[in-house]
Amino acid sequence: MGTLSLILKEACHRKVNFAMSLMAVMVTVALFITYLTTAEASKRETTRVTRDIGFNLRIIPRETDMDRFWTDGFSELTMPEETIRKFADYEGVFMSYNHLVAVLQQRFALLGRDVILTGLSPTITAAKQKKQAMGFEIEEGTVHIGFQVAERLKLRKGDSLQLGDRAFSIVRAMVESGTEEDIRVYARLSDVQQVLGMEGRINEIKAIDCLCLTADQDPLKVLRAELDKALPEARVIQMRTIADARAKQRQTAERYFAFMSPLLLVVCAGWVCVLAVLNVRDRRSEIGLLRALGHGSARIAGLFLGRALLIGIVAAVAGYGIGAVLALNVGPEIFKVTAKAIQLEGGLLGWALLVAPAFSAMATFIPAMLAVTLDPATTLRAD
Amino acid sequence: MAETSNKSPIDSDMIRCVGLTKTYPRASGNVRSLRGVDLAVRPGEFITIRGPSGCGKTTLLLMLGGMLHPTSGQVRVSGQEVYALDARRRAQLRAASIGFVFQMFHLLPYLSVLENVILASTEPDATVSRDRSRTLLKQLGLSGREDHKPSELSAGERQRTAIARALVNRPKLVLADEPTGNLDPENAGEVFRYLSEFHHSGGTVLVVSHGSMAESFSDRVIHMREGNIVPDPGSDTPNTEAQGG
Ligand SMILES: Nc1ncnc2c1ncn2[C@@H]1O[C@H](COP(=O)(O)OP(=O)(O)OP(=O)(O)O)[C@@H](O)[C@H]1O
Ligand SMILES: [Mg+2]
Repeated sequence: MGTLSLILKEACHRKVNFAMSLMAVMVTVALFITYLTTAEASKRETTRVTRDIGFNLRIIPRETDMDRFWTDGFSELTMPEETIRKFADYEGVFMSYNHLVAVLQQRFALLGRDVILTGLSPTITAAKQKKQAMGFEIEEGTVHIGFQVAERLKLRKGDSLQLGDRAFSIVRAMVESGTEEDIRVYARLSDVQQVLGMEGRINEIKAIDCLCLTADQDPLKVLRAELDKALPEARVIQMRTIADARAKQRQTAERYFAFMSPLLLVVCAGWVCVLAVLNVRDRRSEIGLLRALGHGSARIAGLFLGRALLIGIVAAVAGYGIGAVLALNVGPEIFKVTAKAIQLEGGLLGWALLVAPAFSAMATFIPAMLAVTLDPATTLRAD
Repeated sequence: MAETSNKSPIDSDMIRCVGLTKTYPRASGNVRSLRGVDLAVRPGEFITIRGPSGCGKTTLLLMLGGMLHPTSGQVRVSGQEVYALDARRRAQLRAASIGFVFQMFHLLPYLSVLENVILASTEPDATVSRDRSRTLLKQLGLSGREDHKPSELSAGERQRTAIARALVNRPKLVLADEPTGNLDPENAGEVFRYLSEFHHSGGTVLVVSHGSMAESFSDRVIHMREGNIVPDPGSDTPNTEAQGG
């Protein structure tokens, strides 16, 4: 009699046990698929939310007089514009400091008062990052003006503003920010360089660290050490409150996943094991009988392993389906910002098909083999 | 081949065991189920084993069938030393030469009557094995019941299924442990009739039974007490000799 037909007949006969074992593996797979898919979404969400907090690293010329820096709000010195390229191209820790913007800012007399004229380069993302540039890009010949500037000069969107000998069109009058931003005039970096007569110069690079470092590393320390090697002419300042908020959020998420993943695995694995062991124990007298009838241990192992593999494969496919439906339906509810980005990874099905049957077989194999090595009489009399 | 190398030409006994002991180590003290059993069974004998509960009858039968390692001593079946064989060869010996009938039937609940018999068959040709199983079931009065599950059968029908299963490979030896323990006298009589038929066709039978019915079919009755074979407590005749026939 064929092994498969025996397996199927046993499964039909012990429907409840078979269904329970199937459920155990299926729920495990479904949980993992849901979990892995939404964990990916959660990480993306954390990155997105924390990124919106703003740039938190300022890289300025090394020789900057720090007392003046803090009173002025910017460095009186400049560095070459290529510095940002060097920074972006540097392999190593800076890979993770994506989203760089080169800045040139100076006090600038505008109709009797000073404004801070700020030139911004387009956002540069690290070479390996294919993410969308963030922040706003400023068109050539246009400016964005701060709230206070607009109030004082009675300027509105669409008006023209004379800076030096060039006229710029105002594309945005910003809302009140309650910071020195209200007296800023933003323009494209190249325009500001030209207006100030400082072609090819910048005095600051703003960056976000993507917080790819682990919790026990002090990002500033690592960054400073690397920066000394890569850009000896620059120094870095980290805006602690922003950085800390970001790091805390990330660490919370990381700790949660570090705790949940193994817990989930252990609980589900334990469940599958218990059911497998119970099935074999229930069928010890059957093992004894098959051996009494002269069936070899290979055949008996095949019977039990075949059952486990069958459960593993069916459960992997069904579990993947259930997990996928759950992740796609529940995920977007939880992770609103990145909801559209929640997608299934087909590769997970492959893994499920590999791991679920292997695990289910392993959990069965050990007790079955232990039963097979005993004298048939011992197993036959087991119950 | 190993199967024949340890077969001595003068060893014509179906079963010969020497100094069989079985001790179960237990925290409360060792349980000595068998205390040195010597026994010779000639081919074609029908033997009944009797004795009070717990005296070691089942233990002895399982050991003779290659199902339970003795603590010490030897068992030869058809001249082969059973426990010198590896597990695979011992399984082959059981499949080819020995049929078992248990008090609890031990039928697989998820297979039909016919499938339970086929399961034991070593015949490689599926059609031959199916036909032989059907014929046996018919002889045992189970035609029309082939596709039933064991749970749909009476106790007597279950035991007859088990007998068909024990006989499907045309064994030389049938070991039956209280095969009628769960049956009424009528069904018990049936079982003994089939065992006796097998005996008359040249088979060797060892049956553990409490009832007097078994003895009427037997060439010899062996009495056991506290792990030993003892003389018949109710007669002067030493139990190792044949009793009529
Ligand atoms: N696995 C075991 N562990 C410990 N003791 C055992 C074990 N199996 C059997 N025994 C003991 O060995 C002794 C002989 O058991 P056995 O089953 O052979 O008796 P029996 O003569 O068949 O009895 P019964 O007529 O009640 O079936 C008994 O005392 C029993 O308790
Ligand atoms: Mg017994």
